[in-house]
Amino acid sequence: MKQATDYTALTQDQISTLQRQGCTAQDWTQVVVTQGFDPACIQQAHFMGQVEIGDLSGTITTPQGLAKPCGIYHATVMNCTVGRGCRIANVGVHIANYNIEAHVCIEHVGLMQTHPGATFGNGIEISVLNEAGGREIVLFDKLSAQFAYMMCLHRYRPKMVAKLKAMAMAHTEAVTSDRGTVGAHASLCGVKEIVDVNIGPWARVHQACSLQNGTLLSCEQGPTTVGADVIAHGFIVAEESSVTEGALLTEVFVGQGCRIGKQYSAEGSVFFANCEAFHGEAVSIFAGPYTVTHHKSTLLIAGLFSFYNAGSGTNQSNHMYKLGPCHEGKLLRGTKTGSFSYMMWPCRVGPFSVVLGKHSSNFDTADFPFSHLEARHDGKCMMVPGLHLTTVGTVRDGAKWPQRDRRQGCDKRDMIDFAVFSPYTIGKMIKAQTQLKALMDTTDKSVETVSIGGALVKRLILRTSQKYYRTGIEVYLREKLVQRIEHALAQGRDLKHALAVDDSAMASEDWIDLGGQLMPRQRLETFEEAIERGDLASVEAFQEALNKIHEAYEEDEWAWARAAYEQVFDVTIDAFTGESLQEAANAFVQVKSKFLNLVVADAGKEFAEMSQIGFGQDGTAEAVKGDFFEVRGDYEDNSFVRDMKRRVAELQSHIEHLNQQIQDKTTQENLC
Amino acid sequence: MSDVERRIKEVVARTLKIDVGRMTDESRFVEDLGAESIQSVELVAAFEEEFDIEMDDEEALEVKTVGKAIEFISKLL
Repeated sequence: MKQATDYTALTQDQISTLQRQGCTAQDWTQVVVTQGFDPACIQQAHFMGQVEIGDLSGTITTPQGLAKPCGIYHATVMNCTVGRGCRIANVGVHIANYNIEAHVCIEHVGLMQTHPGATFGNGIEISVLNEAGGREIVLFDKLSAQFAYMMCLHRYRPKMVAKLKAMAMAHTEAVTSDRGTVGAHASLCGVKEIVDVNIGPWARVHQACSLQNGTLLSCEQGPTTVGADVIAHGFIVAEESSVTEGALLTEVFVGQGCRIGKQYSAEGSVFFANCEAFHGEAVSIFAGPYTVTHHKSTLLIAGLFSFYNAGSGTNQSNHMYKLGPCHEGKLLRGTKTGSFSYMMWPCRVGPFSVVLGKHSSNFDTADFPFSHLEARHDGKCMMVPGLHLTTVGTVRDGAKWPQRDRRQGCDKRDMIDFAVFSPYTIGKMIKAQTQLKALMDTTDKSVETVSIGGALVKRLILRTSQKYYRTGIEVYLREKLVQRIEHALAQGRDLKHALAVDDSAMASEDWIDLGGQLMPRQRLETFEEAIERGDLASVEAFQEALNKIHEAYEEDEWAWARAAYEQVFDVTIDAFTGESLQEAANAFVQVKSKFLNLVVADAGKEFAEMSQIGFGQDGTAEAVKGDFFEVRGDYEDNSFVRDMKRRVAELQSHIEHLNQQIQDKTTQENLC
Repeated sequence: MSDVERRIKEVVARTLKIDVGRMTDESRFVEDLGAESIQSVELVAAFEEEFDIEMDDEEALEVKTVGKAIEFISKLL
């Protein structure tokens, strides 16, 4: 925007007019304006240093919806460029060293200044997970969940971490400036102080208390909001996020589409896409996508979270009063912690597990997804592996996350794969099933409990948990096969080729959840090696490579699913006939129906007698049912239950139709 | 009381830590005998081990009383 040739010096008449309107300048020759400048729109303004002023004629609509004159009123402006169509009014101390782009409204701001060499929150190193240090993340305004995850957690690749750090610092150097920027159409109103803060276009900063050393990324399609009484020092807040209601941020990264408010306090932490944090406190956490904490007395400390929901009073310890706060916890994606749950780090919890009670022992259940982890009276963890596989909450979560992606406007920086059932979770289930069977086979019946990673499992449950996992594995693998067939039929491809693994696919037994993005281990290793070699040397190249991995997901997943299918069901897919494809489709109907029916049954518990406790206040026994019906409705009419039942009903006819198509196609292809 | 009935009641008593005397055929595991969610899972596992049977998950959901358990398991034996 800044083009020196656009500006001309003030005429003597213009200077005289300005002086009559109470304006002063340290040196009027340093105040330059664009052609057509009207001095009437500048009153009681005081200029210091070089000030460039655009066309300030006309009006601007304030965030409150009022059209007010553009111009500069009651403000001291030092070394600034003021774009066309701006309004600057009632600045308490001064605005210094800012490039203010077009159509910006700044009213009732106490102090606004950029110091020489400001980095705007970039380049700050924060100690995430390990509060004592060693896992520092460098904040910068292009940080993604994947970049942060690798920098923080893959310390066993020091060369790669050094390269990532160099990228972050190069970016920091590139944005370091003696001048801050306020992007076009931003509005700043009633803010006490803004020091060394870059503000993106269309951002709204209203009634904030103190913003220092930070960046607000924002765009027209996804404006960022900073609201009342917010204090943020050393921060980056990304597009489409809001930080409001007295939130207190100290050295914090807030990713895209986040909501932080209601006096939430966070320090040395990163929050990625679509996190929500209210009331509670975070210290040194890695809040991956969809980390949600809504309640008071909830402290998240030194932990890794994603797709996470914190119950009220959730708490952890990272300090055993020995060598400092050096313990870490990892709650893998989809975990929930119940009210007043407590964990003593180090602990690692498998994906989509539920943690209840006060755990005062360390445990690692990372390879046992969908587990129920409940603390015994002595603080030991009792685990029921796989119990939550068919709970209604798991199914609802899987459906709601994609729908709640608030990143609608700007480029999505964090890569997210939403699938609840994926090679990542199913792979863990296959391993868990094998381990449970081995334990069952080798444990005497006189033994009451066995230990798995420090968690206790009742021997009796070993068989039950295998059944849970078996159901999940079968549903997933059969479904993937059926989907592959359907896709091929829809595209008119021949089945033999459609079931083959694409040349571009990368198969690994292990899959990784890289800060919300799922990928085969081999993809990750190739990616990290490229960084180490210097082949991916910029943040843009890093992001592009992740995009390509994301695009390869479907074929990579099929490569994995196909191999797992052959292993689990002991078949050779290349030898499949039309008949065996139909058998597989029929088996899918069976197992998927069973799965959905178990979910429906779980939903039924919400309507059982025990769930009706407290209903029918002051009434008779008959009133309980009536009250419950009016408030909660009827089980059969519940929208979720109806949807699940509809899916079960449609499944059979859907597969019958598919089987007919398979028969037609295989006759055509002579695949019999 | 048949042998199956006796063994079922013993399994229930052991798993839910209650007296056999408290049970009738009409006793509901959750509402009357206080079985929590996890205990219901343990109960099914205990029946399976005691009688060396496999209870289908969906069908097991319908077994909500002691009497139903006796009826269901007797059919499997």
